[in-house]
Amino acid sequence: MATELDQLSASAIAAGVVAGDFTATEVARASLAAIEARDGEVAAFLQVSPELALAAAKATDDAIAAGEKVGPLAGVPVAFKDNMHLVGTRTTCASRMLADYDSTYTATCVSRLLDAGATPMGKTNMDEFAFGSSTETSHFHRTYNPWDTERVPGGSSGGSAASVAAGEVPVSLGSDTGGSIRQPAALCGVVGMKPTYGAVSRYGVVAFGSSLDQVGPFGRTVGDVALAMNALVAGGRDPRDCTSQDCPVDFLEHLDDPVEGRRVGIIPELMEAKGLTDEVKSAVEGAARTLESQGAELVEVDLPHMGDSIAAYYVIGPCEAFSNLARFDGVRYGYQEPGCATLAEQSSRSRAAGFGPEAKRRQMLGAYLLSSGVYEKYYYRAQQARTLITQDYAAAYERVDVILMPASPRSAFKFGEISDPTEMYLSDMYTISINIAGNGGISVPLGLGADTHLPVSAQLVGPAFKDRSLLTFARALERGTDAGAGMGDGAPVAPDFVGRGGDLA
Amino acid sequence: MALSQEDVAGIAEYAQIALADDELAEMTTYMNEAVDMLAPILEYDLDGVDPTFHPIGDLSNVMRPDEPTPGLDLDTAFANAGSTRERYFRVPSILGDGGVA
Repeated sequence: MATELDQLSASAIAAGVVAGDFTATEVARASLAAIEARDGEVAAFLQVSPELALAAAKATDDAIAAGEKVGPLAGVPVAFKDNMHLVGTRTTCASRMLADYDSTYTATCVSRLLDAGATPMGKTNMDEFAFGSSTETSHFHRTYNPWDTERVPGGSSGGSAASVAAGEVPVSLGSDTGGSIRQPAALCGVVGMKPTYGAVSRYGVVAFGSSLDQVGPFGRTVGDVALAMNALVAGGRDPRDCTSQDCPVDFLEHLDDPVEGRRVGIIPELMEAKGLTDEVKSAVEGAARTLESQGAELVEVDLPHMGDSIAAYYVIGPCEAFSNLARFDGVRYGYQEPGCATLAEQSSRSRAAGFGPEAKRRQMLGAYLLSSGVYEKYYYRAQQARTLITQDYAAAYERVDVILMPASPRSAFKFGEISDPTEMYLSDMYTISINIAGNGGISVPLGLGADTHLPVSAQLVGPAFKDRSLLTFARALERGTDAGAGMGDGAPVAPDFVGRGGDLA
Repeated sequence: MALSQEDVAGIAEYAQIALADDELAEMTTYMNEAVDMLAPILEYDLDGVDPTFHPIGDLSNVMRPDEPTPGLDLDTAFANAGSTRERYFRVPSILGDGGVA
């Protein structure tokens, strides 16, 4: 009987490759076939890398044939957000600015997955330089939500989320500065984790907000996300990223621990917030009951400064973005406007032509907020607010192990439905405070919403460097949920794409 | 006080983004909306609160041993540059209004 690649978890693929049930090359070809058959409608990828994929798969097969030990992701097809350097691919950040930029080195997060045996399938679409919540700001094309191709996949890591939801790959990487993993995971009905700041190296990932950015995995099961976390973190602190930290592994070790007697925080105010739809509210309330039924205790907690986080974020994020994107002056790399008489003219015309509207808006806002006389009024005060938000979480974690809340206030919206940039910023109302505090968070699929019949998710958030415990609760929630793949079996591939290409012999 | 189109043109010059006239009008609208959205920050009670500039607060001055390590070779470093000459990135005139480079 034929096996469909999209019905296998990453761990099952790695186990099958090691056991000789199929080869890494067969898996790579199946993933390429699935991408070929599905990506015309999903458009998750900006670049597919068959040569790299087949070469990596052959290396895995050769190692197994030679009796060598292979890594925990042996033969697992993975996709990378296109802000991550991988030699042999372009790294465009979905921007005209970097449309022809060839990766000059490989990001640590990418090389760690490859060192663990993963097969690189290509680079995925995103909002330009990660500025957005719908992947609509990509310079190149839209990405379509596999659950309803009239709708956005969320963003900014929309391509990475959609590639997993469509069954093109079992695992992908994204980056999350204010929700850019957790929100698209919620809109595409997959698991998406933003680890604690410092857990995963940012070396080789094009910076947006350096005190906020963190890389993390997508998968259709919590177990696959834990498996990818092991590969990302087990190598320890990366000397090439001075903010990277040694932190506890193994992420699989406590995955199935019981949550009985442990405490889950609920913030009543967040469950009544303006903009939260009834179906998401009801699903998250159901998630609370699921954890309670496994013996967890629900505890009401208060985050008094949570409401301050959107304003604080939209000061800190644009200021850091303006600093980071100042490097794109068209000299060493990036779009260069021809025929300019002076360097200043070349820089400002290259930046005007190379950046899209949202990238310009964020940098203009950051430039203003950092200007003399304005800095003290906004930037400094935002950093003070950051202290209060972080202290709120620390106080809450004295009383609870994790906090349960929505990941996104609503299910996927239609293309063009949210056209006002400041309204779009509210898509991240439940996610940005976690980046401000630097803690970990994870989106866990809960199946389809009662009203829109589109994926809805819960978000679990936890204290810094307690990401293993966060995964334990995520797994407990998954264990008590049928998101469409069967009780406890994680999230299904979006129905319209199941089984299209990707036959494994 | 709302930002004028002239203010926004000044910010664009500082940010080195040559905005077209129609972009400038749109950008002025956006900047004022965004600054309005940030207004609550002016009302927060923050007396005596220390700022947090970084989520790993006690992290400072991370140094590696002062030993040479390999960097990018020249060909790789130049691979994405618009214009190079010998061992240098080539740019138009830095001073003045151009003229003969």
